Amino acid sequence: MALIRSVFQDELDSISQSLVDLTAMVSESMSKATTALLSCDLKLAEEVIAADLKIDDYQHDIDSRIIDIIARQQPVASDLRALVTALRMGSDLERMGDLAHHVAKIARMRYPDAAVPTELVETITAMGKAAIKITDKTGVVISTRNTEMALEVERDDDEIDGLHRQLIGVLIEPTWTHGIETAIDITLLIRYYERYADHAVSISRRVYFLVTGKFAS
Amino acid sequence: MTTSHENEKETMDTTVKPHSLADVAQAKSVKAPGTRALGTGLETRGVHAWFGKHHALSNISLDFAAGTVTALIGPSGCGKSTFIRTINRMHEFIPTAAMAGEVLLDGKDVYAPGTDVTKIRLQIGMVFQKPNPFPSMTIGENVLSGLKLAQIKVDNKDDLLEESLERAGLWSEVKDRLGAHGGSLSGGQQQRLCIARALAVRPQVLLMDEPCSALDPGSTLRIEETIRHLSDTMTIIIVTHNMQQAARVSDYTAFFLSDGGPGQMIEVAPTSEIFSRPQDQRTENYVTGRFG
Repeated sequence: MALIRSVFQDELDSISQSLVDLTAMVSESMSKATTALLSCDLKLAEEVIAADLKIDDYQHDIDSRIIDIIARQQPVASDLRALVTALRMGSDLERMGDLAHHVAKIARMRYPDAAVPTELVETITAMGKAAIKITDKTGVVISTRNTEMALEVERDDDEIDGLHRQLIGVLIEPTWTHGIETAIDITLLIRYYERYADHAVSISRRVYFLVTGKFAS
Repeated sequence: MTTSHENEKETMDTTVKPHSLADVAQAKSVKAPGTRALGTGLETRGVHAWFGKHHALSNISLDFAAGTVTALIGPSGCGKSTFIRTINRMHEFIPTAAMAGEVLLDGKDVYAPGTDVTKIRLQIGMVFQKPNPFPSMTIGENVLSGLKLAQIKVDNKDDLLEESLERAGLWSEVKDRLGAHGGSLSGGQQQRLCIARALAVRPQVLLMDEPCSALDPGSTLRIEETIRHLSDTMTIIIVTHNMQQAARVSDYTAFFLSDGGPGQMIEVAPTSEIFSRPQDQRTENYVTGRFG
């Protein structure tokens, strides 16, 4: 029997591709936000802040298209899972965009000073790199629906969690000399990176559910 | 067993091992179908059907728990209608038709020698695709016609008439014109009249063969509501091509498919499972509309 519903399949593929594109937008934002933060680049920080609106609009467009497909195509089984998880993945990605935006705002708030003390630059750089790595892998997971890789993302998150704990340790040391304001900035910043990665993990778990129909434990 | 094709029966395909609803329930540790306090329900065991030499249906074993609605879905020609027609022995009306296997109602094979076929059809009622009220009879006469044909006496026909029409969801619309001809009703009302007619003889099981395919959406939804209400007191099996209808009205769904050979049951499971996480890729492809 011939396979049918090619238009519907094209619509589903298009949603998946849009999520991949949104992931790339979010990844670029976080990359630029980290650079703006560490190099005190006001122009780049402003660019990231402006890009957040585009990310929001892009996510709203994906939501609208999904609602339209559900209304017209009455999807079931894996198609329904794909669309419901896409709604939630879009929301996760939008939130990741917000977190990149928050990082950029701290960079802008402290300009022309640096928000990150010199001795912490290396660790924040590592957090930024780990965040981009996990986002890019999440994009591949969305695109390929590779469940093994989806579970890897969860393990990659451990690296960011470790850096987060390490920096918390530095902040609560009696030898901390940069004052309360900087301590608050750093606490917020590392929380943003840590939550950013958590959303990537959440997306990967949703892909696992989409493919298998089971929740990743 | 009724067959004129003994040779085919001997070579019947038994390689397919269908899942029974009881297997599914056991696997999922839910209350096994057939254990509700509404009677023992209906079972089929290894049912095959033929039209002449054409083997139309192979080895269907299913339990239909009392008080449940089971939807049979699958592409045209997969044997769904043939299967339900074996249940109340309508299949044998067709010349050259034959079947093998067992259909157990309350544990008794409806094909056992000496079985009164009329009595079986009183216990297992049927509603067809196209509404078929008796055109020359009034609405009231239509509802009570089964009693007349089966020569069943009841104490209060008016009560039975009202009860049957009420259960079919038609009473309020026709109570002031019971003397009008059945043909004067709309298509949806005629179908509910046919349901009332089937209910008047108090069947345990109601078979419905695409009962809404000739109806508009409003009438379809009224029939679906009737099905849900009736399922409190009887076992219902519905053949439907409308996937959303199967999802809305049934507790269990069985997917039938013919891959060039006789129709087989590919998968049976609680309806929510079939429409969210079917186990067989062929079921997935069908319910998602990837072929049909």
